[in-house]
Amino acid sequence: MTSPVPGRQAPTIGGDPSLRWFQRAVFYEVLIRGFYDANDDGTGDLRGLREKLDYLQWLGIDCVWLLPYYPSPLRDGGYDISDFFNVHPDYGTLGDLVGLLEDAHRRGIRVIADLVMNHTSDQHPWFVESRANRTNPKADWYVWNDDDQRWPEARVVFTDVERSNWTWGDERQQYFWHRFYSHQPDLNYDNPEVADTMVDLVRFWLDLGLDGFRLDAVPYLYQRDGTAGEHLPETHSFIRRIRKDIEANYPGRVLLAEANGWPADVADYFGDGDECHMCFHFPLMPRLFMAVRREQRFPVTEILSQTPEIPDGCQWAIFLRNHDELTLEQVSDEERDYLFTEYAKDPRMKRHMGIGRRLAPLLDGDRRLAELLHSLLLSLPGSPVIYYGDELLMGDNIYLGDRDSVRTPMQWSPDRNGGFSRADFAQLYLPPLMDPVYGFGAVNVEAQRRNPGSYLHWLRGMLAERRALPVMGVGHIEVLACPNPSILAFVRWGEVSEVSADAGGDQDPSTRRRTQAVLCVHNLSRFAQPAELQLAQWSGSIPLEVLGRVPFPTIGEEPYTITLGPYGYLWFDLMDETSPAGARLL
Amino acid sequence: MTTPAPVTGVTRDEELLRLVHAWMAQHGRGGSGAGARAVGTTGDGSDRTRRTGGSDAGAGATEEAVHLQEVEVLRAGRPGLVDVVTQVGDRLLHLVLGVRRPGEEAHLLRAGDDPVLGLLEDAEGLGVVVDALRDTELARLVLESVHGGGGAVDPGPPAPVSDDDDGAVLAFGEDCTLTVFSWLPHGPHPGVELLVALDEVGFNHLAAPLALWRRGGRDLGLVQEGLAGSAGGWALALTSLRDLYAAGGPPEAAGGDFAPEARALGTMTARMHLAMDRAFGRRSGEIRHWAEVVEGVVRTSEPSLLDGEGVHEALEMLKASGLKASTLRTHGDFHLGRTARTNQGWVVADFMPGGIPPGSDAPVFRSPLADVADMLWSLHHVASVAALERDPTGRSGLAGLAQAWEARNRRAFLTGYLATPGIGGLVPSDRRIVRGLAAVFEAERGALRSGGSQAAS
Repeated sequence: MTSPVPGRQAPTIGGDPSLRWFQRAVFYEVLIRGFYDANDDGTGDLRGLREKLDYLQWLGIDCVWLLPYYPSPLRDGGYDISDFFNVHPDYGTLGDLVGLLEDAHRRGIRVIADLVMNHTSDQHPWFVESRANRTNPKADWYVWNDDDQRWPEARVVFTDVERSNWTWGDERQQYFWHRFYSHQPDLNYDNPEVADTMVDLVRFWLDLGLDGFRLDAVPYLYQRDGTAGEHLPETHSFIRRIRKDIEANYPGRVLLAEANGWPADVADYFGDGDECHMCFHFPLMPRLFMAVRREQRFPVTEILSQTPEIPDGCQWAIFLRNHDELTLEQVSDEERDYLFTEYAKDPRMKRHMGIGRRLAPLLDGDRRLAELLHSLLLSLPGSPVIYYGDELLMGDNIYLGDRDSVRTPMQWSPDRNGGFSRADFAQLYLPPLMDPVYGFGAVNVEAQRRNPGSYLHWLRGMLAERRALPVMGVGHIEVLACPNPSILAFVRWGEVSEVSADAGGDQDPSTRRRTQAVLCVHNLSRFAQPAELQLAQWSGSIPLEVLGRVPFPTIGEEPYTITLGPYGYLWFDLMDETSPAGARLL
Repeated sequence: MTTPAPVTGVTRDEELLRLVHAWMAQHGRGGSGAGARAVGTTGDGSDRTRRTGGSDAGAGATEEAVHLQEVEVLRAGRPGLVDVVTQVGDRLLHLVLGVRRPGEEAHLLRAGDDPVLGLLEDAEGLGVVVDALRDTELARLVLESVHGGGGAVDPGPPAPVSDDDDGAVLAFGEDCTLTVFSWLPHGPHPGVELLVALDEVGFNHLAAPLALWRRGGRDLGLVQEGLAGSAGGWALALTSLRDLYAAGGPPEAAGGDFAPEARALGTMTARMHLAMDRAFGRRSGEIRHWAEVVEGVVRTSEPSLLDGEGVHEALEMLKASGLKASTLRTHGDFHLGRTARTNQGWVVADFMPGGIPPGSDAPVFRSPLADVADMLWSLHHVASVAALERDPTGRSGLAGLAQAWEARNRRAFLTGYLATPGIGGLVPSDRRIVRGLAAVFEAERGALRSGGSQAAS
């Protein structure tokens, strides 16, 4: 089969797979504090995570993303860092981190970590010194001003908590700038010492073996008069500086940007392939939840149609839930109201401009819906990020403050504290869930690993299937026409390399290249639905259902009709004469 | 836009008329608005007449003569294409014949179809004649002929969208659609005129025309851009209603709430009217006169509708009004089935009514609120149809949910319409008059439809 869409060249998957591993990887986001407590003090730690690497390897993830593990007063989940060059003592030592990295790498698992470059804790020694007076060596490491009127165009991010981006510093008798909480002063990147120090910081962690960073709050590094202080050219320039250093000295390491914006704007953080390797695609996530409630595909297809092509060697990161609230910044006021109505019926579920709930409770525990959303997550363009516990359909606790509702301990077993810790219950950093529906008695790793029909086994199987379909990584997406608005169907296609014993000519005898196409069909409705798909460009192919390897009728020129059950999903490998199975079937 | 260059050629008239006759028999219809009329054929100006009629040709039908009007060879050789316009009574029938070599395989658009109309002998020898729009290969050639070199390099495969008295519509993947009219007006097609005019004034909620097929001042067909990823407005509304009927509760709390879509549809409708104003201008009409006309229509067709909620009061208020209001060329038959939702929002998928409302035979200027009323009626209709599908006996009490859905989405549609900047210049400023006009036009719509089809409209 040649390129099925005229005018578009099939993307090449592979190149140097060790350098572009992130394009096909499945990421797993871990809150160290909540994952596993190895020293019985009630808080998860690096040694605990290291002990659970076997589980992560069994699950089939490729990269662990660690939330901040740096020393911090923990007023914002560790995003208020008080020492960039160390590990929070609750989590262990630098040695524990190195041990974790070595063990993970031995298992083929990479590890990236959060890096907050925009600000520090107000308890960071740099800020303590800076705020003391206007003449100390760190006086210009933060952004100070005599009044609080500068940069009025810059929005306040946490509008429910902060009224201004300026806060008064008594000692120095000036205001300091902060885009987030007032206890998180922004660093002054116009000071070359700051910029140089942050480059050194990146090198420090990469030298220890980290495989990359998720750059937190990256759009806000610089401020300029007359602007909103976001996405400024100076910020991009600084990212290019870091990227250049990585390319030269740390090839294969990755930068993942947290820039919550419209895809066309966020794509700027890819640069010309010379800034971040990956960016989060924030607007997709709320629209997935919108689509399944509305039972129509348009919320998703609209945002896909507005997602630009990205430079070669880059990748989106997509997710269903994460450690923050389900953020609704990137939806209209009307859509936000709708999502609050549908998914946050209790006011306590609201957090900032979002919803503080985990995946399973958001879906009222409906496993069919969870499978549907995970099927979309694993098949849409981008590398999927799974939040710890969502593989079990863990619940949340909306009565906990801020975003702790979704940060309760991982549920390993039905034993004391859910198998998370052997500490006294009162010592735990947060109480584990104990309710009859989502509590550790009902939802835990041990029970689900024993049960082949569990959600954990289902998701593990899907991850394995995805791994076997390299086109899911960076293949093109072709959204298919379907008169039924409840059907979201698309084909992922691109050129793949595969092992072959009979490759001839001047090809490497162990591999050959072919165009792979995977048809993914999703029913967003609670009712069974017909899908009449225009697949004539794949005429002659046999759709091989991926999970059961069941061949479906050959695609012809006429519309191809499939029936899906409620919230049904099907993946088909479109086999032609160039594919091994296709050669047998055709 | 391009117009294909004429290709002249001569075929034997007698054979062609026989093929036209076969086409009409296969299609079993007498033409838009023609009712049941039998058809006879004449060739070479003689009066030889045969009973031919299709299924529409019922007892008491009159016979009509068929004359060849125009024959144009669109593509010589095999496969060939011959475009034929015949006069059937006082109407013009248009069809595209495909000519294949005997024994050559047809490429059916629909499995099991038999598009063969007969045989034809020309300079190439004997050929098997098929309906070109029912054969994928020939349909591509028709598209190529109409669109010339300006089209997509390799448009997607054709798929039938509709085939009725208005004509045949084929979609070529998501690239474009080809419409070939069957029954031609004596002059430009009002639907094409409307589409082109709105496109030219910058109304972008439509499938833009890419090529017009015109000959001798008549529109034979057109090519439009495809509406990628679209779903029909009717299907989208049904999706919302299914969700509501399954969940119960107020429609604003239902996951499939349609109100945001209805509001956007209202905005798009207002933009359409503003574009109509730019394209064709506006006139003025007396509200009192409209009310009297509507009352007459309703009283004749379905007098019970005069007892509908607020209709009588609205009529009295409007008849007492001495006000004038703007009239426009309107869509003419505006309902959910004529709209589609795409990734870019709502579009008018079908302009073929051309501004000719039911009961008229030419475009008329009327209040834009007549289109608004059509859509309000459509919202009512879809809620009723969906309730009936799920609850044919009425025992499940879905009627209440249907009413709530309808009320919410009527409000949302009107809000979207009336909040659109500029629309205030086209509709009366007095909201009582607006509501009254919408109510009486909707009663008129209901009256005109009451005896007609209950199709998705």
